[in-house]
Amino acid sequence: MSAAAPGTSKAAHSDVAPKRKKGPGALATAYLVIYNVVMTAGWLVIAVGLVRAYLARGSYHGLYYSIEKPLKFFQTGAILEVMSRVFLTWAVTHSVREVQSEDSVLLFVTAWTVTEIIRYSFYTFSLLNHLPFLIKWARYTFFFVLYPMGVTGELLTIYAALPYVQKTGLYSVTLPNKYNFSFDYYTFLILIMISYIPLFPQLYFHMIRQRKKVLGHVEDYSKVE
Amino acid sequence: MWHMSVEILDAKTKDKLCFLDKVRTYFFSSYPQWYPARQSIRLDPKGKSLKDEDVLQHLPVGTTATFYFRDLGAQISWVTVFLTEYTGPLVIYLMFYFRVPFIYAPKYDFTTSKHWVVHLACMCHSFHYVKRLLETLFVHRFSHGTMPLRNIFKNCTYYWGFAAWMAYYINHPLYTPPIYGEQQIRLALIVFLFCQIGNFSIHVALRNLRPPGSKTRKIPYPTKNPFTWIFLLVSCPNYTYELGSWLGFTLMTQCLPVAFFTLVGFIQMTVWAKGKHRSYLKEFRDYPPLRSPILPFVL
Repeated sequence: MSAAAPGTSKAAHSDVAPKRKKGPGALATAYLVIYNVVMTAGWLVIAVGLVRAYLARGSYHGLYYSIEKPLKFFQTGAILEVMSRVFLTWAVTHSVREVQSEDSVLLFVTAWTVTEIIRYSFYTFSLLNHLPFLIKWARYTFFFVLYPMGVTGELLTIYAALPYVQKTGLYSVTLPNKYNFSFDYYTFLILIMISYIPLFPQLYFHMIRQRKKVLGHVEDYSKVE
Repeated sequence: MWHMSVEILDAKTKDKLCFLDKVRTYFFSSYPQWYPARQSIRLDPKGKSLKDEDVLQHLPVGTTATFYFRDLGAQISWVTVFLTEYTGPLVIYLMFYFRVPFIYAPKYDFTTSKHWVVHLACMCHSFHYVKRLLETLFVHRFSHGTMPLRNIFKNCTYYWGFAAWMAYYINHPLYTPPIYGEQQIRLALIVFLFCQIGNFSIHVALRNLRPPGSKTRKIPYPTKNPFTWIFLLVSCPNYTYELGSWLGFTLMTQCLPVAFFTLVGFIQMTVWAKGKHRSYLKEFRDYPPLRSPILPFVL
């Protein structure tokens, strides 16, 4: 079973990058700065794309198509991203066309977008040792809403995909076959949904604890821990 | 971190040595919630745990000794863990083999497979785990008495889970026998049996290195038994033979979950073999240089 950590959980795992006590070397820093700037830009592109498409259409139906390409690119390009994001994009939203027009897709894409813009600008500023308190505050406060929003969007999307998966037998392998193996994608998706129950509260409360720790020390701007 | 002071009075009789297990016993009588197996006693808070065989007078302490205590958590004996984790697969596989209700469609309840390889596979799988149980009871000489309690849940989930997963497909009414039929099955059986005998031979050889009740460590060498000649090339041939057995079983059943189980087991055994190999090298200056941890010349 792939790690089904909810989308906005990346904030919880994110302490991997800036946690190193000794700073990265010059080359590594340069790479990381560029990487984070590109990611910020990418997610801004997606955000702008969403807004423009909405203004053009007057409704948010079909918004997915307007940002499909950059979403796929920037999501897949971030190799360090939590597997659930890639899973949601490819194995659910891309694979099950009927799901792409669902409002739930907009819900998690918006949540991810806002989270990522804040998160990557947080990293960029941290690397340059110039972290505005506003960004730090935003990162550790917005999640209160973005997190449940993202999780709700993801769960609703998976749920919406279920009937189509069952009907078409998508990604499923049945017996008999010469490898004596079977896989039911429908059951797999249900198990993924169930796994959110133990995982989501853990990650949510972890973020709350992180927030107390980080925002409790208001005097530390440039230190990132 | 507990801080405990032990005062050693003059040893009245030089021949009466104080082993560390005595210290553990005294500690336990004052703190009954920490039985000896879960006490880690060291000279340094971050140091290695002292062993029961260590002698107080031989430690670098004066007339007053200060030890550091750490609670290892609830412990369970190795024998208990092994017996539990191996009995599971034995029983579970047989449940699938006899097609106990609620696993397959009701019309198949208590039926048997029409493929003879399925009967053979059941015999091999059962034999394997019976062998393991008997070895646990009569052959192995364990270095450690206990391990943390949570290990039993982890280990049983692994063994029992995989056993159920494999058994489901092999004993399924829609099971497809191996492509190359009898030839494939015969070859697989030979490989399996060869490796089972090999694995057993290694276990016996390792047991004989160690006198009963002791925990001494020696370099294993080939004996008169040809199955042990593999010691010339490998540090942990028990794992090599175990891999071979499961490869045989995979070939016999031509079942992807079995292949997957073999792969995961191989990865874990390689980690263990490398660790064991490293400790051999550290402990023995004259360790044979030709040996690899698990696969001759390769790994």
